[in-house]
Amino acid sequence: MGVFMTDEIKHGDVILEARGITKRYPGLVANDHVDFEIRAGEIHAVLGENGAGKTTLMSILFGLVRPDEGEIYVFGKKVNFRSPLDAIKLGIGMVHQTRKLVQAHTVLENILLGHPNTGLILDFKKAAEDVARLCDRYEYKLNLNDKVWHLSEGEKQMVEILKALYRGARILIMDEPTSSLAPPETKKLLETIQIMTKDELAIVPFITHKLPVVLSVSQRVTVLRRGKVVARLNTHEATEQLLAREMVGREVMFNLERVQVERGKAVLEVQNLSVYDEKGMKAVEDVSFSVHEGEIFGIAGVSGNGQQPLAEALAGLRKAAEGKVLLDGSEITHLSSMERWKKGIGYIPSEQRAVGSIGDFSLVENILMSYYYDDEFCRRGVIDAKKIRARAEALVAEYGVAAPNVDVLAKNLSGGNLQKLILARVLSRQPRLIIANLPTQGLDVGATEFVQNKLLEAKKAGAAILLISEDLDEVLALSDRIAPMYEGRFMDILPGGEAEREIVGALMAGIRQKAAEQ
Amino acid sequence: MWEFWVRSLNASTIFTVAALGEIIGQRAGIMNVGVEGAMLFGATISFIVAKVTGNYLLGFLAGIAVGALIGLLHAFFSVTLGGDQVVNGMGIWILGFGLTAYIGYPYTGPLGLPRLPAIAGLSPFFLASLALAAGIWFFLFKTHPGLKLRSVGENPSVAEVSGINVVRTRYASVMFSGALMGFAGSIYALDYNPVWNYNFLMGWGFIALALVFFSMWNPFLLLGGSILFGALWQVSLNPEALLPNIFSRYIWRTFPFVITIIVLVLMSTKWFSSRWGAARPEALGLPYEK
Repeated sequence: MGVFMTDEIKHGDVILEARGITKRYPGLVANDHVDFEIRAGEIHAVLGENGAGKTTLMSILFGLVRPDEGEIYVFGKKVNFRSPLDAIKLGIGMVHQTRKLVQAHTVLENILLGHPNTGLILDFKKAAEDVARLCDRYEYKLNLNDKVWHLSEGEKQMVEILKALYRGARILIMDEPTSSLAPPETKKLLETIQIMTKDELAIVPFITHKLPVVLSVSQRVTVLRRGKVVARLNTHEATEQLLAREMVGREVMFNLERVQVERGKAVLEVQNLSVYDEKGMKAVEDVSFSVHEGEIFGIAGVSGNGQQPLAEALAGLRKAAEGKVLLDGSEITHLSSMERWKKGIGYIPSEQRAVGSIGDFSLVENILMSYYYDDEFCRRGVIDAKKIRARAEALVAEYGVAAPNVDVLAKNLSGGNLQKLILARVLSRQPRLIIANLPTQGLDVGATEFVQNKLLEAKKAGAAILLISEDLDEVLALSDRIAPMYEGRFMDILPGGEAEREIVGALMAGIRQKAAEQ
Repeated sequence: MWEFWVRSLNASTIFTVAALGEIIGQRAGIMNVGVEGAMLFGATISFIVAKVTGNYLLGFLAGIAVGALIGLLHAFFSVTLGGDQVVNGMGIWILGFGLTAYIGYPYTGPLGLPRLPAIAGLSPFFLASLALAAGIWFFLFKTHPGLKLRSVGENPSVAEVSGINVVRTRYASVMFSGALMGFAGSIYALDYNPVWNYNFLMGWGFIALALVFFSMWNPFLLLGGSILFGALWQVSLNPEALLPNIFSRYIWRTFPFVITIIVLVLMSTKWFSSRWGAARPEALGLPYEK
């Protein structure tokens, strides 16, 4: 196993070098003469917005995509990857953003799967010893016989890292390594990868946001914008402002202006709500809260702790098993989603492409989905095409959706633009209650800023806003009150202005004690 | 009583072998509901070959080969073309039903060969089926190819990034699966009931299919289920032997099928999937597209 052979490689040796990497797609240069090098024992972050060419570069380094031009050298030797297998053989490991693990199998089975030297009959005992040694070395505790679906997100990620290391990876490419982790898990991950660099492993995280993470652990940063390398820095010379400016190409405001609005009467009241998920498990258990006029109520939680079923139950897309939901004092627990829209609930779903829009419909038709039941736009079942078109054009202009015209299909919009369109559709109805379900997930810095400002505007106008987010910084920055959600329950409801990051972070991970002590 | 159990165990052999085939296929993510069709092909072709050549071995080999061929056909439709596996499986059943009736008609009647040896009435294939179940369990859970096969059935995209050829694995699994179904049909036609008749399998393939779900895709649980259904089948044929004068024999005849339906319905409920759902291969029935 390669991990323990640290003698041949000295700290700071260049172990991977990419020269002049260029990849063109129709109408787009995804990578434009990118030069990039990785040294042994360093954490080298690659930063860029969506569409900056990060994914392409990562895919080229891992052998998933072949570059049109340019050369790659690994340990000084020119290489030509035909498939990820070639990259793996040369010691390049990949930790994907979406977990690439078989949920029903054990940790050990996942680590062994596809390993070239296992032989026909698996020697589980020896493999377990080897992997346990790796775990010890990097100070990570993991039960190798657990089924993967029992594990937390952080542990699953560690399984992927171990799998790569067990195959002899010297370079770990990590795609958005912290995006699905709760703060304590993020901390643990960063500690672990720092220990790994002592073995002269190179860690290459690719990151869109979460600039603080980059600053806290990496030694070097490469910033990509529109397919080009725009900055190559030693991290100690960089600041958050500087990195964001390089990424976006303009100044970015980091501190959102906390808008103070007089808190009005309760718009949404939820009493002892329980909801089942599609597997028949109780995903939301006995949740009670209220959201008031001019208030942003933030639900912070790691993915899969019941936020989705809760949002869907409130939007009328999922049945409530127990409890009551009231809007402006009248019960809506059993109303359909349409009836809820008409009463003033606006839902911004997390799945922009699957739920938030219809890809094969034009922008006009997508806007129409929130208007067709309105007599102003639809008379006796006949749609007033002229009127809805004018409205769509006005909205597209107002929300700055970058599209040549309103007849293009929604599926051709980028993630950020699509979210602007959905926002335009929902917010223009001036809902009493806005349910924003992961409104900025997957968006780049610029689009995120836009969405957050729109929510603050709506708050100023007196709307009640339920914000569901996996990004703790976002919840802290925007919310007036915060409910950390863990395994279907609210751990607490804290006032937003004073909530401490560590306490909310611990509560999100189900750790109550710490909060109680402090 | 011994005779009853011997007949039951001999019947269970056929369920076991066919269902083991289906387990292999489903563990790799491919559902073949046309077990009955593949078995009919195996039974009829092996019967004809054995009868014409007078050689049992050739008969079995032909039955296994035609089963593998049916598997290849199913793999082509469900893996390469990405078609609906249930629809294609039904197609295999209907094709097997019609075509074997046509091909086998001239050979209607007994095989006319000396019976295969048995140990106090117990077919040697019963012992072989025990060994086969143990072997397949070992393969699935203790070997690397078995792990690959299961991974392909759970999550093919994960298998792909782990360097496994999903298409090749699925083809091999489904062909082997078909070969076992053909073998099960051959055992039926050459050993258990060596008299060819129109549709002489009478739905055994469907019981084998239900047994796969019943067994939670585990070869050892399958053995238990097969023996239970083998016994049920015998009871349904000779209810007088065990429980005389309770129902008409025609009602008894429906028992294995009624239980099959109940099992399949229970398996598809929410109640079941929330408790035991993890055993079901996650990608079962889903075509894999990169």
